[in-house]
Amino acid sequence: MLDVSDIASGYGETQVLYGLSLKAEPGRVLAVLGRNGAGKSTTLKTIMGLLPLRGGTVSFEGRPISGRTPFDIARMGIAYVPETRDIFPSLTVKENLELAARRFPCPPGGWTMDRAIALFPRLGERLSNGGNELSGGEAQMLAIARALLMNPRLLILDEPTEGLAPIIVRLIHDKLAELKHQGLSMVLVEQNFGFATSLADDVVVVSKGQVVWRGTAAEIRADTEAQHKWLGV
Amino acid sequence: MPIDPGFWVLQTLNALQLSMLLFLLSVGLTVIFGLMHFVNLAHGSLYALGAYVAATVAGLAGFGAGVVVAPLAVATLGAALYFLLIRRMRRAGPMAQVLVTFGLIFVAMDVTRMFWGDLPMGISVPAWLNGQLDFLGIEYPAYRILIIVLGLITLAALTLVLTRTQVGAMIRAGVDNDQMAACLGINVERMFFIVFVVGCALAGLAGAIAAPVLAISPDMGLQILIPTLIVIVIGGLGSLKGAIAGSLIFGFVQTFGAVLAPSLASILIYALLAAVLVLRPAGLFPTKG
Repeated sequence: MLDVSDIASGYGETQVLYGLSLKAEPGRVLAVLGRNGAGKSTTLKTIMGLLPLRGGTVSFEGRPISGRTPFDIARMGIAYVPETRDIFPSLTVKENLELAARRFPCPPGGWTMDRAIALFPRLGERLSNGGNELSGGEAQMLAIARALLMNPRLLILDEPTEGLAPIIVRLIHDKLAELKHQGLSMVLVEQNFGFATSLADDVVVVSKGQVVWRGTAAEIRADTEAQHKWLGV
Repeated sequence: MPIDPGFWVLQTLNALQLSMLLFLLSVGLTVIFGLMHFVNLAHGSLYALGAYVAATVAGLAGFGAGVVVAPLAVATLGAALYFLLIRRMRRAGPMAQVLVTFGLIFVAMDVTRMFWGDLPMGISVPAWLNGQLDFLGIEYPAYRILIIVLGLITLAALTLVLTRTQVGAMIRAGVDNDQMAACLGINVERMFFIVFVVGCALAGLAGAIAAPVLAISPDMGLQILIPTLIVIVIGGLGSLKGAIAGSLIFGFVQTFGAVLAPSLASILIYALLAAVLVLRPAGLFPTKG
């Protein structure tokens, strides 16, 4: 579904990714694990076209997306939930949601405003609040709901649990598990090993801009040596 | 201090008139800056051009035609400017942008000299606008009332579009975070273009309606640039509320300063600017992004 092959990328003078390759399969959840600074977020930003590709190729559903703008990539069916959530502070919760909902056709059984609010009822109580008046958990719910309203075929999430209270982490986990159960393909970057491996089917571990381990979630949970070596778990 | 109520009404109208002209100029410049992070110092030159086009067209086909054609002509020029320069310089950094658009000011000044000469031009308004209106007990030129009304209509229309419509939400999202807006499937490049062109049209409109009350001269664009920049810095870069507040503050401080404290008038607005920069460096109504 998503095929990232031998990509190089970075910020300005600093190269971060050195020939990183990974594949996301339809209907499955791929977790991208690794220590801080390994290049996980850089990988997602490069996939979304937010960072220029300096080498390698990225394709989505067989079509190349290398060199395309974030706008084109979003249109092709990839939704992105950034680490910083990036809720628009000048827009209300409702406007944040509508922005995504009005831009993409809703297929039969797809995500509507009502369904997104049913997934996160808390957002329903906050519709007229400003985007700058939300707690971290609410902002994360909104970022996920907003991405779903694009009715994407692939959802990529960057550290959805970062900075959240355990009870909210639990809630986000259950909602993402529900989405997985409904067959949504996802790429998940996480620091939280337990959270990631309980959701994921497949796992890649990134270190110094390359994939150093790949396998299934069950395999990484069993491989304490790899955990210790690459993740410091 | 004068206690005559007529004095206050008169000066308030003068202040409003200046505020509305500044608003038409600053709103385009500030939204373009907020959205594109692009500093277009030649914005004032577009205003001057609007005045020249309006005067020329008015001479041929009447005042109304001039007011309609000037924004369209300036918008067309803005579109050309966008494709030839602005789009290519989006990532060139503020220093390069400032230098190039500052250079454009002088190009525009000499181009207007070539076409229209060095002498100030005039433009006459239709007879029905030439008279005086009785307003709250004072006589006030009808045309200046028209400037205030046009400014208020534009202000209301822009506020409505920006705060109540989907297009407005897209623009606000773009000002907050253009990259995330693009990730949600918003064609940010096209939005930049449209906002830039609309901003140019408003500058052209400002030039056209200011033409009858000011002398149209090649350097009028340069003269309006500093007040416009002061307005958007006081108000907060990128914010509509800021442009409204900044324009009103500038208009009133300048107008009342000139009559109440003539010796201080020329430094009053700069003192205010300095105070804002010290106390609220991001302006009075900064954008939240």
